[in-house]
Amino acid sequence: MTIHVYAGLKDYFSPEFELADEVYDIDQLRACLLAINEQAGKLLAASRFAVEDGFIDNTYKFKAHETVIVVPPSSGG
Amino acid sequence: MRQSSSFRPAAGDKIAAAEVAGGTVPGSVRGVVDQPIDMVGLLAGAHDPAAGAVVLFSGEVRDSNRGRAVRFLEYEAQVPLAEKMIAGILGEAKEKWGLSIAIAQHRIGRVEIGETAVVVITAAVHRGEAYAANRYIIDRIKHEAPIWKCEYYSDGTKEWGNNCHCGEVKEDV
Repeated sequence: MTIHVYAGLKDYFSPEFELADEVYDIDQLRACLLAINEQAGKLLAASRFAVEDGFIDNTYKFKAHETVIVVPPSSGG
Repeated sequence: MRQSSSFRPAAGDKIAAAEVAGGTVPGSVRGVVDQPIDMVGLLAGAHDPAAGAVVLFSGEVRDSNRGRAVRFLEYEAQVPLAEKMIAGILGEAKEKWGLSIAIAQHRIGRVEIGETAVVVITAAVHRGEAYAANRYIIDRIKHEAPIWKCEYYSDGTKEWGNNCHCGEVKEDV
């Protein structure tokens, strides 16, 4: 699984990296990311997740080799 | 005024509303650009005989934030998602307020003090709809589109913005 992170999350993770662990949903992915860097907890808790087709919710099941985008709170404008 | 390479309508050109709302038609207004926004060009194309009101909002970079001197901002976006989302917001607004034109364009990269970071243009039969739709569009873009600002301060520090502070400010922001 390929992970892309943006904005403040780049203070805690590489902008793009491969996740070796198998994760099947958002809860597992969030836990996995927390294990990599627990200091990102607050920001991860407020982040949304997306795949190529758009934003996903907690019911979404990841596909093999999927690219997941971790989207911290917006601050445009 | 600096010109954007992304869109340069001739004065008087009418922007096809379907193009604007769709966001994917070649030659339409891009939702996210990495060059200065051509605000005058966008406005010049935003006229429709059926519209008695055109409202333009320009979100500009100010030189301070919460008492700290700001040197410049740097915007980042997940561009495909942001453009898709902006197109969706514009489409919803067009339907809700019966707009003839709805345009939104956000800049990414380094944006200097006084430059435009985002522009929203709405055209409707009457001003009430044009104002309301414009406010709706910019609020949703600020809060929902995957676009982020990093503030670079005069003391050499920088800080990623989180959610905007609209709720903490009594006046319009």
